[in-house]
Amino acid sequence: MNFEWNWDVVRYSIPSLLEGTGVTIQLTSISVIIGTVIGLFVALARLSSFKPISWLAAAYIDFLRGTPLLVQIMIIHFGVPMLSKGTFFEYVPIPFISAVVALSINSGAYVAEIFRAGIQSIDKGQMEASKALGMNYYQSMRYVILPQAFKISIPPLGNEFIALLKDSSLVLVIGLQDLMTSGKLINGFKFRPFEIYLTVAFIYLILTKSISLFVDYMERRLKTSDNR
Amino acid sequence: MKKLFKLLMVSMLILGLSFAAIGCGSDDTAKTDDNADKQEAKALVVGTDAAYAPFEYQEDGKITGFDIELLAAIAAEEGLEVEFTNMDFGGLIPALQTGSIDVLISAMTITEDRAKEVTFSDSYFRVEGQAVVVKEGFAVEKLEDLEGKKVGVQMSTTGHILAEDIKDAKIEAFPTTPDAMMSLANGSIDAVMADSPVVAKWIENNPDSGLVVIESIKFDAEEYGMAVAKDNTELIEKINSGLAKVKANGKYDELYKKYFEQ
Repeated sequence: MNFEWNWDVVRYSIPSLLEGTGVTIQLTSISVIIGTVIGLFVALARLSSFKPISWLAAAYIDFLRGTPLLVQIMIIHFGVPMLSKGTFFEYVPIPFISAVVALSINSGAYVAEIFRAGIQSIDKGQMEASKALGMNYYQSMRYVILPQAFKISIPPLGNEFIALLKDSSLVLVIGLQDLMTSGKLINGFKFRPFEIYLTVAFIYLILTKSISLFVDYMERRLKTSDNR
Repeated sequence: MKKLFKLLMVSMLILGLSFAAIGCGSDDTAKTDDNADKQEAKALVVGTDAAYAPFEYQEDGKITGFDIELLAAIAAEEGLEVEFTNMDFGGLIPALQTGSIDVLISAMTITEDRAKEVTFSDSYFRVEGQAVVVKEGFAVEKLEDLEGKKVGVQMSTTGHILAEDIKDAKIEAFPTTPDAMMSLANGSIDAVMADSPVVAKWIENNPDSGLVVIESIKFDAEEYGMAVAKDNTELIEKINSGLAKVKANGKYDELYKKYFEQ
């Protein structure tokens, strides 16, 4: 075997990779927050008995889940500016903004389905009981159903956020320098793909493991109310 | 229901295994074909980043361009068969190193760093160098005017290397030069630094973009070379001899006229 692991390349790459990691973390955390909010509203819209709203939500979910995230990023960063040129809503593309928008709306669609499943899994009796106590639909949702639904949704939500972290590597195509792009750039100058990309993968692993540890912690904290 | 589920699982397993078996099967046939090919001339796999008009680009589903036709002419002179394949610019040199391509031609500038990894052919094209492109009306006269501005480049190109020297410039690196040009046209960045013939061609093909080349900023001329794996002296000698023949018999000038003099 002719291959010899080159530690120098790893040492050389670390500063740049860490800078990229900072961007990846920023990008993912902002998109997670916005995506969760979007997901909650879309899920409630989807469950609404008002047909047009429900239909709109379903269409949103279909489109965002049914098209590749890469295509969505390209449309927002390259397509929308051309479309909106000269109009009031002109979008002069900024890579970070395009990335956050694309990741948030994409994640929002998946989160919506996660919340919907969580909400629908709650016993019908809960809604009936809270109505019997005199709460209206919104009060029942806010104080009884959603808290329980949220607890059930935590594992799949954690899944989605780990997926989002990894998907954020697609911002490569719009010139945003995240962890993956930094790795690719270094490879363009140093030509040692194995050492460089393995290091990149390792950093992603640390990030995703942190997310899953956090999710475990959340689950444990919320489980304390389960002792009946 | 349980029986149906079991049946479903078993059939998926069988389907999966049969795909694997088919996969293995075709590898064997490929191997025997290769052995047959070794008796005849094996087609050389040529890597190129085909988003770089007029040197290499896609037209009607085929890869064509100055580089492509040049290498095809060289191959014809030397009795070699070539097969072009499109790949990411940054991946070309690693692909040579692993042997997944035999030769690259991609308007790649001969540099010392690159020459450490691969063997370059003789220079086949001389470019006046990099060009700085901006949106019409953006005031830039010298390189220093770009300090602190957003500069778009293609990843791992000489333009990228040169742009890194601009003080405080915010570099946005794109997978291809057209991506950078598009971002400039959209107003997302302030300038692009890339090979002059390529940006000139892009502007020619996209007259509504409102982009101009800053003539007052000049860079050192660059030489393009083809490349093969470090130790493939046999192939590089053939390429160099073919190049010399193509230059001598007028085919080179013919191609040059076709692509650069209208």
